[in-house]
Amino acid sequence: MTFATPLGLLALVAVPAIVAIHLFRRRYPVRRVAGLFLWQNPRQTPVEGRRRDRLPITTSLILECLAATALALILAGARLSSADIDRHLVVLLDDSASMAAVDAQGISARDRAARRIRSEVERLGASARVTLVVSGERPSVLAGPAAFAVEAQAALNNWQPQAAHHSLALGVRLARELAGTDGKLMIVSDLMPAARGEEEVPGALWASVGEALANVGIIAAERTLSPDRGQGTVSLTLGNYAGAPQSRRVVVSAGGKDIVTRYLNVPPGSSSVALPIPPGLPPVRVALSDDALGRDNSVVLAEPRPRIVAVDNRLKEGRGREALANALAAVSGITRAEQSHLVFVDGGDLDRPGDPGTWRAGFGRPPEKWRTAGAPRDFVGPFLLEKRHPLLLGVTLGGVVWAGVSPLAASAVHPLASAGDQALIGLRSASSAGESPAFLFNVDLDSTNLIRAPDWPIVISNIVEMRRHGLPGPERWNYRVGEWIRAGLGRDPKAALRSRSGGVERAIPAGQRIEIIAPSPGGLLEILEGDDVLFELGVNFLDETEGDLRRQTTADTGSLADGSDLRADAGVTSDPLFWVLLATAGLAIMANWCLLPASRVHG
Amino acid sequence: VPTSSIDWTAVRAASPFKIALPRTPVGGRLGERLGAGTGSSLEFQDYRGYAPGDDLRHVDWAAYARSELLAVRLYREEVAPRIDVVLDVSRSMALTDRKHRAFGELAALLACACANTVADARIITAPALDPRRLRRPEDIETVLQCEATLSALEGGHLPLRRRSLRVVVSDFLFPHDAEALVPRLARDGASLSIVQLTLHEEAEPDADTGRRLIDVEGHGEIDMVIDEPAVRDYRARFSRLRLSLANAARRTGARFAHVLAETPLRQAARQLAATGILEAA
Repeated sequence: MTFATPLGLLALVAVPAIVAIHLFRRRYPVRRVAGLFLWQNPRQTPVEGRRRDRLPITTSLILECLAATALALILAGARLSSADIDRHLVVLLDDSASMAAVDAQGISARDRAARRIRSEVERLGASARVTLVVSGERPSVLAGPAAFAVEAQAALNNWQPQAAHHSLALGVRLARELAGTDGKLMIVSDLMPAARGEEEVPGALWASVGEALANVGIIAAERTLSPDRGQGTVSLTLGNYAGAPQSRRVVVSAGGKDIVTRYLNVPPGSSSVALPIPPGLPPVRVALSDDALGRDNSVVLAEPRPRIVAVDNRLKEGRGREALANALAAVSGITRAEQSHLVFVDGGDLDRPGDPGTWRAGFGRPPEKWRTAGAPRDFVGPFLLEKRHPLLLGVTLGGVVWAGVSPLAASAVHPLASAGDQALIGLRSASSAGESPAFLFNVDLDSTNLIRAPDWPIVISNIVEMRRHGLPGPERWNYRVGEWIRAGLGRDPKAALRSRSGGVERAIPAGQRIEIIAPSPGGLLEILEGDDVLFELGVNFLDETEGDLRRQTTADTGSLADGSDLRADAGVTSDPLFWVLLATAGLAIMANWCLLPASRVHG
Repeated sequence: VPTSSIDWTAVRAASPFKIALPRTPVGGRLGERLGAGTGSSLEFQDYRGYAPGDDLRHVDWAAYARSELLAVRLYREEVAPRIDVVLDVSRSMALTDRKHRAFGELAALLACACANTVADARIITAPALDPRRLRRPEDIETVLQCEATLSALEGGHLPLRRRSLRVVVSDFLFPHDAEALVPRLARDGASLSIVQLTLHEEAEPDADTGRRLIDVEGHGEIDMVIDEPAVRDYRARFSRLRLSLANAARRTGARFAHVLAETPLRQAARQLAATGILEAA
């Protein structure tokens, strides 16, 4: 037995109610007496009610409970057959933010989608099952699998599309799996498959409920700080998808106070605008005036606080030291200090213990203990590079003569670049907790042409960035929704780590590094350690594709396979159990009210 | 129960009785019975001095010869006794067909007894109604409808006549104080006979299941389980009610009989005769 509307089973509470009525106010058979006063005593049962006593199983009680049960089952849509399982509709909802775009009447594609789905479900009948799948990079089930229509309706009412542009392929695959062989598949989007760059889905109804609209949105945003000039800047890239210049007001506010207000004439296509703001402000909110899509009209930008890497060039005087100094001069975000995060030393000094927290890069002949017998050699290639290592990103060593390579013991370093069996660049990992890693550049800087090759500043920059990556703090301060946010603490956390965005808090796994996905719908994201705010980051919806609403349309393609099946016998009256229950309830009520009164009268 | 169902032949066959008369003089119109006052019977009662106008035939000439005083013989008066039959015609007397039938037959029996007594008999059914003269036994049928919601005994002052023979028929299944009710009925009467008519199930009910008890005269209703303890309590209360009536009757000099509706009429008549309410005609 299945139930089309299980909430109707709540009517079964009538059964205990009837029992309670019989228990506390029994309908005894009538007996007429001449001297009622002779019967009255403390044991009597008043008409108004009575306390606990043995429940008499009377015909009236049985009939009333039977009628109540039958009516409750009717309300619950009880069915003997499972034919309604065949009427399983799986709906894939396009969760793209463009579905929330509203027209001049304030009606969004999401509203039209909900209305369309509601009408399809009504066509199927109250007993049909519905599964709602929400598309996205990670598709999820909004209602179901095979939920009742009322449940699906409730879930649909709470659905608010807000995802960035994505493919529906994963959602279609999940929806197909949920539909199985008997279910019908329906895809609801605001674009037709071709306009969306998707392939048509055979055997499915693709319902596009969009409407072409003009829109202006923020498609990129950046907040920079110039300590030298003592000024911050908000740089916006605006997308105008209206086909004509549009006037917009942009407001930059912080802490509830408007900082900058400017009226812009946004030309069609992409355009940029830079808004100077004072430095040191908390995260600012940049908002455009309202239009069709509100999702791309505002961003929250946190002020970047760059992680400065302190470096120290301790190479001996010579070409190498000079070349390193030139390369470091081209790297931003560094400073020179003796108590540094990164020191460049001669290779022979790498066997000495380094300062805690200080990475070392050694150039030249490696320490005696690391070498094996043999004279230094020069190599012109080929070079074997571990290109996925961050130190060698963008490094090719094309045309480089790697000179002065000393033979190394096999376990001395982990080779990152090698020529033949000789390690050219090696990583000496930390052997203890307090020791920092060391890089060995097994090269003679005075004789190699590496320092004149394009790879030289790249590898120096890479090693600086690697060190920067190891410093406490986030890599960036502003992210797009769905991007990975990575931040280092530089220590073990003292309390539980949490993220908080829009009033929603999520736990973060404890560790020295934090890696989370920028949560939707975005806004200010706080990283908390206990009750202390570690970082304030900006997470924004910056999606050029979703902001372009000019291709949205309303049309259908495909069909729900055999639609006639969906419309047949949709009502609960098609099931014989309905009529059995109806007859049972009717007969029980009739018997209770017509037959029992005659038998109740006593003498 | 239609009153025409009374089998008068059977009733007359069962009632060779008349209302028992007390040994003390009774009041009434001129008739066969000795009255309380002086009259014209043959029974000498007293002397008194002659007064002008006295019937000279009553002058005791022998006494005048002895004493030269004119004395007149006084004789007891002869009266026809008055009988007031008080019938409870409330709904409780027609609780069942059997009880209604028994009530009708018992009333008819008493009506025949009144006729056999050659008395001035009246029927009283309510304080507010004028008594109905019982000229012939069949007249009793006109008052046996049993539709009243109150017994005649529950109301106010009954129109009982002084020095009348009073016969009361009721089930007495209404709240009352027998010590007050019986003397009120007996006050200024020549005699009082009380007949309590009930069903057997009213006197000795059996255990039953849960029932809604509804007072037939509209005095409320209750739900209760009629189990053995409830029946036991009821029987004890009914016994106290009957005993209080009997005791009050004994103290007042009245006669009391409890008749069950299931009792055959002939046997009921003998029961009334045994208690002194009826006597052989």
